[in-house]
Amino acid sequence: MIWRSVDLRRTALRTLLQLQLNMAASTFCPVLLPLSRINCKLNGIYTLILLNKTAAYSTGLSVKKTGAKTGLPQRGGKELRRQIKQVLQPRTERMAVDQDWTAVYPTAASFKADAVPLPVRMGYPVKKGVPPSKKGNLELLKIPNFLHLTPNAIKKQCEALKPFCTEWPAALDSDEKCEKHFPIQVQKKDYVFAGPSLRHPDARIVTLTVKLSSLNLDDHARKKMIKLSGERYNKDTDTLTITADSCPLKQQNHDYAMYMLTVLYHESWKIEAWEKEKTRADMEEYVWEDSPSQKNILETLLRIRPLSEQQEEGEVREELLGREEVQEYKDSVTKLKNEGETEGNMQQYKEAVKKLLSI
Amino acid sequence: MNLPRLYHRLRLTVVQVRSLHGSSNVQQVETAAVAAESDPVSSQFSVFRTSENDPACHTDLHAGQYYTLPTAQLRTLFPHGLPYRFQMQIKTFNEACVMVRQPALELISYLKKADYSRPALRYILYGETGCGKTMSLCHALHFCATQGWMVLHIPDAHLWVKNCRELLPSSSRPGRLDQPLQASLWLKNFKTTNDRFLSKIKTTQRYVWTKRETTEEGRPLGELVDQGVARVKSSSDVVGALLRELRLQAGGAAEGAFRLAVAVDGVNALWGRTTLKKEDKSEVLPEELTLVHNLRKMLRNDWSGGAILTTLSHTGSLYKPRSAYLPMELLGEEGFDTMDPFVPVPVSSYTEKEFESCYLYYMDRHWLQHPHSQTEEGKKELIFLSNRNPSILERLCATL
Repeated sequence: MIWRSVDLRRTALRTLLQLQLNMAASTFCPVLLPLSRINCKLNGIYTLILLNKTAAYSTGLSVKKTGAKTGLPQRGGKELRRQIKQVLQPRTERMAVDQDWTAVYPTAASFKADAVPLPVRMGYPVKKGVPPSKKGNLELLKIPNFLHLTPNAIKKQCEALKPFCTEWPAALDSDEKCEKHFPIQVQKKDYVFAGPSLRHPDARIVTLTVKLSSLNLDDHARKKMIKLSGERYNKDTDTLTITADSCPLKQQNHDYAMYMLTVLYHESWKIEAWEKEKTRADMEEYVWEDSPSQKNILETLLRIRPLSEQQEEGEVREELLGREEVQEYKDSVTKLKNEGETEGNMQQYKEAVKKLLSI
Repeated sequence: MNLPRLYHRLRLTVVQVRSLHGSSNVQQVETAAVAAESDPVSSQFSVFRTSENDPACHTDLHAGQYYTLPTAQLRTLFPHGLPYRFQMQIKTFNEACVMVRQPALELISYLKKADYSRPALRYILYGETGCGKTMSLCHALHFCATQGWMVLHIPDAHLWVKNCRELLPSSSRPGRLDQPLQASLWLKNFKTTNDRFLSKIKTTQRYVWTKRETTEEGRPLGELVDQGVARVKSSSDVVGALLRELRLQAGGAAEGAFRLAVAVDGVNALWGRTTLKKEDKSEVLPEELTLVHNLRKMLRNDWSGGAILTTLSHTGSLYKPRSAYLPMELLGEEGFDTMDPFVPVPVSSYTEKEFESCYLYYMDRHWLQHPHSQTEEGKKELIFLSNRNPSILERLCATL
């Protein structure tokens, strides 16, 4: 087939215009346009194949033959080149400030430098330079981004979910009330999974958290409960966390966790026979009575003022222990041992000792 | 601001001191200069020195200034007590200058005010590494020595719980271990310090060392010490006997009464772990060592007529983390319960004034040879690099 060169160029221009209209949907166009421009100059066969391809992808919209199509190729070429140049520019240049971002990133997608209008830099800086820019930056592609989860996007998702939700009870308007009426919190996770089966193995895990202050425990029961829970108790937040994952079903794990809590509670109220053999080393916190510190101070004070015949040891002991300086000393030692050592605690101890031994 | 030149200008205007533009420590140095000027025998060339060499007369006015230890007494007072780097400094500068610092002054004031008919008080100097605990202890011991006390100084208790080549099973008690070399060395040094007391104090009990050697009751303690030095095998038991005698007789009402200062550097070694091993490769506990056992008995406050001055030391300590410096961390549970109640005395790095003093002292001794170290910029660098820690500063200046 012999194609006349003018006809060739005209058809090329036509398809190019078609391509321009389909610009938003397809992404291969910018790549092909330079190709088609180059191929126009080459052998006729190549352009034929290419034009067939482009014709196959185009949606067949009728093209308005405005402007340069009927006119001279050069003027059309300038206009066309400008339009092509516009298409070749990144999308960020044509974004409005008040655009709908959820349309740019409706779902989780990798970072597209040409679609994100932020001057982000990422990576190790080149020598005597700055971190590389976002264009062609692999580091930005590698990391997860949350551009699809802007507050607006989340609001939209919440609005979409609202028809499926029930109302939050109006009476529970503060955290304390929630804590008071619902002290036990159970956390369960649901997964959307696609694999050999639709069930996700982690969906069976159930976590139960409860604050010990909301349970009815006396001193002994509380200490025993903490000892029994071991790792599961957090001292700073006073929460006991029971994680159940040994059964295959969520409901079974939930029942097991509740059962564990019940057993712990009842066991900690029981007092076993062997519990009275608890030694000083088992104690959770330092108690000054009967400690070496108390013995030392009593001995020292007795050495300073030895017993006379009339005084009885027990009485003298009680009287010494009742003195204010001894109480201060006791407080400072208990603080040191329980709260750990700091400069402030040491100073307090020093003052107490000085007062006691009247230095 | 060139401080030596400033001082020369001050000397011309003797009484009238105008407040100059400068930092507050410079003004303090000026007031110290005025005080030094008014002292008739004062140093002609320094604001950082004081001529008051008697620790009993040191007050807050002398804080931050250096006083000189008389070289003649140095050998008898501190045969083994001073830190090694300080000993090298004495040799280099041909003088032993110690800075008067607040912890030592506090300790001396307690010693002055204490009632010696009551049980012995325990003082623990604690602080970060290299802050001057041992030096403060030595200052306090100098005070005790000038007051005529008997000084029982264990320079480093850590030396008794590690690196012992000879460990003999004790002859007197089964299950205990003797350290003949350490004991005899310590007895030699003890004798050098306290020679004049040893002839006056008598033993109260008969001691049997071997089948042929005994020390009768009523013999002077000097004989006991000689026995220990000569017969190295029984030196640990001799140390125990000596400590017992001193404990019984300190602060007595008799005319030969003396006050006893027990100074232990690195007292946390007595309740820590040891690196010594028995023949079956099991670890030796500190209480199984005779020396440690007897020293622990000494540190209890069941005797009167003296004071117990101790220092905690992390350098040389075994199995303790590097950041540990507070008493409970280094002493452990057992140590704290035994030493309780004690008076903790914190020792910290140099203050601005003390740093100035130290810097001027080094300049005076021509120790800082590097030209940049003599400028203000160099001084700021030194402050930054050492963070005003005395030992780090000393090591830095040694390289300049």
